[in-house]
Amino acid sequence: MIGVGVAFSSEPLLRDLPGGVQGQRYRKALVRSASYFNGHPYLIGLAVGALARTEHEGVPPEQIGRLRSALAGPLGSVGDKMVWTGTLPSASAVGLVLAVTLSPMVGVVGFLVLHNIVNIGLRVWALSAGWRGGMQVAKFLGGAAIKLCLKVAGPMAACAVGLALPLAGAWLARGLDMKALLGVGIVATVGIVFARSLWPTLGGLRFGLGGVALAVLAGWL
Amino acid sequence: MIANAGWLLLWGVVVGLDLICVAQTMVSRPLVAGTVAGAIAGDPVAGMAVGVILELFALEVQPFGATRYPDYGLGAVAAAAAAAGAPAILGTGVGVSLGLIVAFVGGKGLHLRRIRNGLDVDRHLDQLEQGNLRIIYALHLRGLAREVLRSLIVTAFGLLLAEAIRRWAPLTVQGAVYLGIVTLGAAVSAAVTGAIRLAGRKSAQQWFVLGLLGGLVGLMLR
Repeated sequence: MIGVGVAFSSEPLLRDLPGGVQGQRYRKALVRSASYFNGHPYLIGLAVGALARTEHEGVPPEQIGRLRSALAGPLGSVGDKMVWTGTLPSASAVGLVLAVTLSPMVGVVGFLVLHNIVNIGLRVWALSAGWRGGMQVAKFLGGAAIKLCLKVAGPMAACAVGLALPLAGAWLARGLDMKALLGVGIVATVGIVFARSLWPTLGGLRFGLGGVALAVLAGWL
Repeated sequence: MIANAGWLLLWGVVVGLDLICVAQTMVSRPLVAGTVAGAIAGDPVAGMAVGVILELFALEVQPFGATRYPDYGLGAVAAAAAAAGAPAILGTGVGVSLGLIVAFVGGKGLHLRRIRNGLDVDRHLDQLEQGNLRIIYALHLRGLAREVLRSLIVTAFGLLLAEAIRRWAPLTVQGAVYLGIVTLGAAVSAAVTGAIRLAGRKSAQQWFVLGLLGGLVGLMLR
């Protein structure tokens, strides 16, 4: 979330500043809240709450600016590691397993429920912790629970994806003969070799599109 | 003609908005977007099949900071529309191929939208520096409107392509089978690569192997 988004989210919290929405403090706080920012959307509440609290406490603008700069990097990296490489792929993998073993709707609903418990929970916690923390908000980011989450996020996601792969693969490959299965295995192996050593920046999409072009060509020939 | 094309277009807008701009509840993940689009088009199982394959592709994506990434959600909507009603592997391979193209175009659209948003902010820096509340709200809403427009255009492009493929598929049955094999293989490789990256350190990669073994045991027990 960038500066304009932070200003949009912070504005309701700034209306109660002395002087109200016509006052100088409100206007100056709004200007500060619209300046550059970048952070993870699920944890942005920590910054929104903390910065609004400092405005209410009358903290000098330079200190507020320093807090703002200090929060941007950690909020991004903690959120990215915790959500994008942790809970989201884990929930996705669980959704895949449920979808292929039970039913499509169970998979979809299971994934959405699991992911959104984290999504909504983090957003509510972040805003509340930010408001409570004010200038001391960093203590929440360095808390034991966050450290534990960061430690287990990657391995948990890798384990969940590993668990889902054979089950999803077998469901997708049902009805394929041995020749086709061998073809899938060869393409997958070539893709992994490309991604891990020959051409790491190629990416799955471009590899897939290249394969599609070759398959169409082979089909015509 | 694709069934319920209007509803699919609307679903595409919801999926596009959810990706970044509104709530991020992850209805934009291919598993969800594809299954629901399949249900709208009258074939939830075909929608789920393309959704599962594109979800495997999406597991490779790590959307850190200003990373550019494909829009697999809108890809899944188009893929489900193309695959609905077609026989298993034939429809799935063609649908996912189309989904990859739409995901690529959608990703380019995301980048273009970010540039437009940035230019819009640049044009109004003076007013922002004066704490103009109206301009903050206007910039925010214009950003949302651009996302609605991007989602509409990309979904419409995907649905038109799906309709064209359904009517005049320039493919032999053998070609469609090849597409199924290639897209499934590429999806598995993307998911494996993504999982290894998720684990990070070499010592943590044992967790991926452990999960893989658990999945194989689960497969044998079924």
